[in-house]
Amino acid sequence: MKPYLSIFRLRLRLETQYRGAVLGGFICQCFFGIILIAVYRALYESRPQALSFSHVAAYVWIQQAFFRMILSSDDELMGKIKTGGIVYDLCRPMHLYSFYFARILAQKLMGSLLRAIPMLVFAALLPEGWGLSLPASLPGLLCSMLALLLGLFCVSATENITMAATMRTLDLRGFRTILNMLMMFFTGNILPLTLFPDSWQRVLTLFPYAQILDAPIRLYTGEYAAAEAPWILLLQAVWTAALVLLGCLLWSRNQRKLIIQGG
Amino acid sequence: MNTLRLYLKSMSILVKCHLQYPLSFTLQTFGQLIMEGAELLAVILLVDRFGHLHQWTAGNLYFFFGLMSVTFYLAEFFGRGLTGNFSGMVQSGELDTLLLRPRGILTQVICSAIDPRRISCIAVGTVSLVIGSRMSGVVWTLPGILLLIESIFCGFWLVLGLFQIEAILCIYSVKSVELSNTLTYGGRSACQYPVDAFPLPIRLLFTVIAPFALVMHVPASRILGKPLFDWPLYAAYLAPLSGIAVFAVMSVLFNRAIRHYRSTGS
Repeated sequence: MKPYLSIFRLRLRLETQYRGAVLGGFICQCFFGIILIAVYRALYESRPQALSFSHVAAYVWIQQAFFRMILSSDDELMGKIKTGGIVYDLCRPMHLYSFYFARILAQKLMGSLLRAIPMLVFAALLPEGWGLSLPASLPGLLCSMLALLLGLFCVSATENITMAATMRTLDLRGFRTILNMLMMFFTGNILPLTLFPDSWQRVLTLFPYAQILDAPIRLYTGEYAAAEAPWILLLQAVWTAALVLLGCLLWSRNQRKLIIQGG
Repeated sequence: MNTLRLYLKSMSILVKCHLQYPLSFTLQTFGQLIMEGAELLAVILLVDRFGHLHQWTAGNLYFFFGLMSVTFYLAEFFGRGLTGNFSGMVQSGELDTLLLRPRGILTQVICSAIDPRRISCIAVGTVSLVIGSRMSGVVWTLPGILLLIESIFCGFWLVLGLFQIEAILCIYSVKSVELSNTLTYGGRSACQYPVDAFPLPIRLLFTVIAPFALVMHVPASRILGKPLFDWPLYAAYLAPLSGIAVFAVMSVLFNRAIRHYRSTGS
């Protein structure tokens, strides 16, 4: 366990080095958030909905704040797959899947926290109807933070599966584009899942993608009552465990079939 | 003319390059199709829930979406040298090699890359444009068609002009500046909806500074028979030219910036 923890810590530190990128990303993400909310506001003026608008605004802000959690990948590993440098990692006396899991977990955690904290503060300061409203209740907030943590594990497991597929196809972009798009769409980044047709929502909220950010957001806004939380958290945990298991399986199969090209 | 021939020559070589890896190319093109399809699906789902946006019907919204996506991805298709990895060229010192050749830097940058994968995005946009105009009951006349073509053509230069801002900032700062994404990608996301959906500051931003509204929404609203502003007809034909003006101004600034360029190479 110890080596994985130290890798995790090192990667956390590494992520904090790029502060300029954080500032640029912060401004960019705020701008996108404001634009999305403006569009949804205009649509709400055209036809009011049963769902309170403050829920939609909260949804948009939390999605924008944790954007880096969904879309960020280990570029170094992609380079290693391309150049064959992954062979050095194979020599390490470590479980390869866990090694990369620790890395991506740290990258996603620090990368998103650095951006999320200033963004959520900014969003909370915006006027009523534009900004992030307070959570529905204190238990709801605590549950949603716990759910966010599980979501982080879930998204890291998904990322490792994508990486396993990249290793197999050696295509660094094509397959990724499709998987990333599915991720953006079904996590509710492009359009809040709460604005999908109601019949779709019943199915989509059971998907693994919905466990990443949708579940924590719904716990925050109170759409999922705090009393339901144990079931939500259980569903998240089950999906995370299943995805980790699948990822492990794919990686160990890849390892057996791995051919390093080049001399 | 010489420049145009040079451009076409490099484009044909670059297309051949992309087709050297047919499986990868197909997969990536399919990936782009899914990407743009999802964006369109998001608009469809919004229309399904809300029905309309102020005075704009479902068909109108598809029309605006299609216009933006055709224009933006045409620019990414043919102007990939600017829209893609310009910061990489500066950081790696690759830009130095361009300085040695007896052609304009901007021409060479634009000639350096093409992105044929975007063809699927353009296809999605076209479908949306056609469905949108059908649903809006647009009667196509020659002036209407010309106005649409003018809008797309000028929009193409507007998008490239905005990407030049990023390139200019990059020449001075070496780092790729995420901030300028607000005008390019932000402009695309925002102005796929008609500009009057937004509050005044954003409306001003996309009318005066990055004039997507003048280039796309003024002509489009005229075609749809719901003019955005109370302007005479000729204004609808003049407004899109602002896109070319943005490109011209940015080209001048770009060439000035190049004079300040200091190589990063070792």
